Amino acid sequence: MTGPVLEIRDLGIAFGGLKAVDRVSFNAQRNRITTVIGPNGAGKSTLFNLISGALKPKSGQLLIDGVDMTGASPARTKAAGLSRSFQITNLFFELTVAENLRMAAQVLEPKARAFLPLGRSIRALAKTREMLDRFQLGHKRDELAGNLSHGDQRRLEIAVCLASEPKILLLDEPTQGMSHADTADTAKLVRELSKDVSVLLIEHDIGLVMDLSDHVVVMHQGRKLAEGPPAVVRADPAVQAAYFGHH
Amino acid sequence: MRDRLTLSMRASHLLALIFVAAALALAAIGAASGDTFYLRLGTEALIFAGLALSVDLLLGYSGALSLGQALYFGIGAYVSALTLLKVPSFWLAMAAAGGVTLVASILGGLIANRVRGVYFALITFGLAQVVAKVVYNTRELGASDGMIGIPVIEIGFGPVSVSAGNPVGFFLIVLAIIMGLYGLTAYLLDTPFGRVLTALKANEKRVPFLGYSVWRARMFSYVLAGLIAGLSGALYPMLRGFVSPELMFFATSGNAVISVILGGVGTLIGAIYGSVLLVVLKSIIGSWTEHHLIVIGLIFMICVMFLPKGLVGFIRPRIEERLLAGAREPAAPSFTSAQLEPGSAKP
Repeated sequence: MTGPVLEIRDLGIAFGGLKAVDRVSFNAQRNRITTVIGPNGAGKSTLFNLISGALKPKSGQLLIDGVDMTGASPARTKAAGLSRSFQITNLFFELTVAENLRMAAQVLEPKARAFLPLGRSIRALAKTREMLDRFQLGHKRDELAGNLSHGDQRRLEIAVCLASEPKILLLDEPTQGMSHADTADTAKLVRELSKDVSVLLIEHDIGLVMDLSDHVVVMHQGRKLAEGPPAVVRADPAVQAAYFGHH
Repeated sequence: MRDRLTLSMRASHLLALIFVAAALALAAIGAASGDTFYLRLGTEALIFAGLALSVDLLLGYSGALSLGQALYFGIGAYVSALTLLKVPSFWLAMAAAGGVTLVASILGGLIANRVRGVYFALITFGLAQVVAKVVYNTRELGASDGMIGIPVIEIGFGPVSVSAGNPVGFFLIVLAIIMGLYGLTAYLLDTPFGRVLTALKANEKRVPFLGYSVWRARMFSYVLAGLIAGLSGALYPMLRGFVSPELMFFATSGNAVISVILGGVGTLIGAIYGSVLLVVLKSIIGSWTEHHLIVIGLIFMICVMFLPKGLVGFIRPRIEERLLAGAREPAAPSFTSAQLEPGSAKP
């Protein structure tokens, strides 16, 4: 497989008269970090909802790894290899850290194991341990996810997305509300991740975006304003007027 | 791997063992003293415990409050009664009741699982009331009088057979069936499938993004709960020799919900303890005053205020602590040091 991992063609949705996402097209390349930026209300999160199946597009087409997934349910896009995080932390707060990860990793097991004792899901349990180690959550494995600090919850959220071994990872503002130190750690983490998974990112921290991204898509009022490598996008006068001009 | 939910389930199993031991002891005392009344009351409590178990499966695990679970209990009871009137076979009656409740709960699930939360509660309530009224007005099913004269059957296990009229024998059979249903449910809830149900209760909106079908999980738990209620209901006419539309009414569903709350939501075994407690309370208080429902209502309110997690919900964490302390012993054979890091042990 060499084509783009995610192809978005003329994707659109309107709420009432408002075109929240208006015929947006771009590709996300394999094992690269593609970042969507834009001012508040530009339609970034709506775009993520369209891609992950949370919303059904009114127009356009969506291909995951070359397979048409337009209008597919979240469970189906997940099965196609797409995993997403949420802008507002979305975990099983009443369950332990380990159980949050195990739930996500369980999809790696054959369906027939669904009715066998948990201990038989060897791959899911191994993946859980791997994620606990990789995200340094091992010492908190038996804590309830709801009792973690904000930074730990954001990290667990990424770990949960990764536990199912997706082809493409959608991260919706992973550094939202994080301290400077945590933000830097997360940036490092995302860069590491992109070695074996394609990343599509929504991010507000422009410094981080320019530093991290291979490809940047700029959205403004539901439309794609520009796309290209960070340096090219930064130099684009239209982008400067619409986005950087406000800063 | 040490797992909080597995640990809770193990604590429930311990309470289940205590329950069975107590039930066997009481059965022995009952048999020795030639008692009939209390053994049959205990049998009835166990039958309603099956209904409460099905309510807890829905409410305590997938987070769906059914106010009409008596529908499947009643269907099971009526199908069992109709079968026994034609062919007095225990196994045939159970199979027929199981088959019909399976179909009925699939149909009911298709309707009820279109909605969530309070609407689910209202739809399940409505479904049960509609069917109960239909039964109430159908002469072929005995209408408001129900059906009487169901024969006392012989329950055959190969060469041996036990009469349903034998208070001790039938008590033991019902005990075995209800605890079997408990065991099956507890097993399923501690599998990956069961954990999806737990996840539904914790955060239903996140579940599809992990790749699981919410509808399928809800449907499966609903049908399983219906089946448990139906099989429990099928035992009722064997005990009492009659069925009546009251078995499907809200009072029956409501009592099951009260049993679950008294015993502890999401504990499974709590449903069984709660149901026995409720039947015993009703019987004892009912012998003092005809206003026993007021007293039970007060007890229920006190329980909700001071024991919001129910009896088992209150006791179980203490058992879990003990089990955890036992597991932490270095000699414990089922845990390796890699699975149980000392740093993660709870203080």
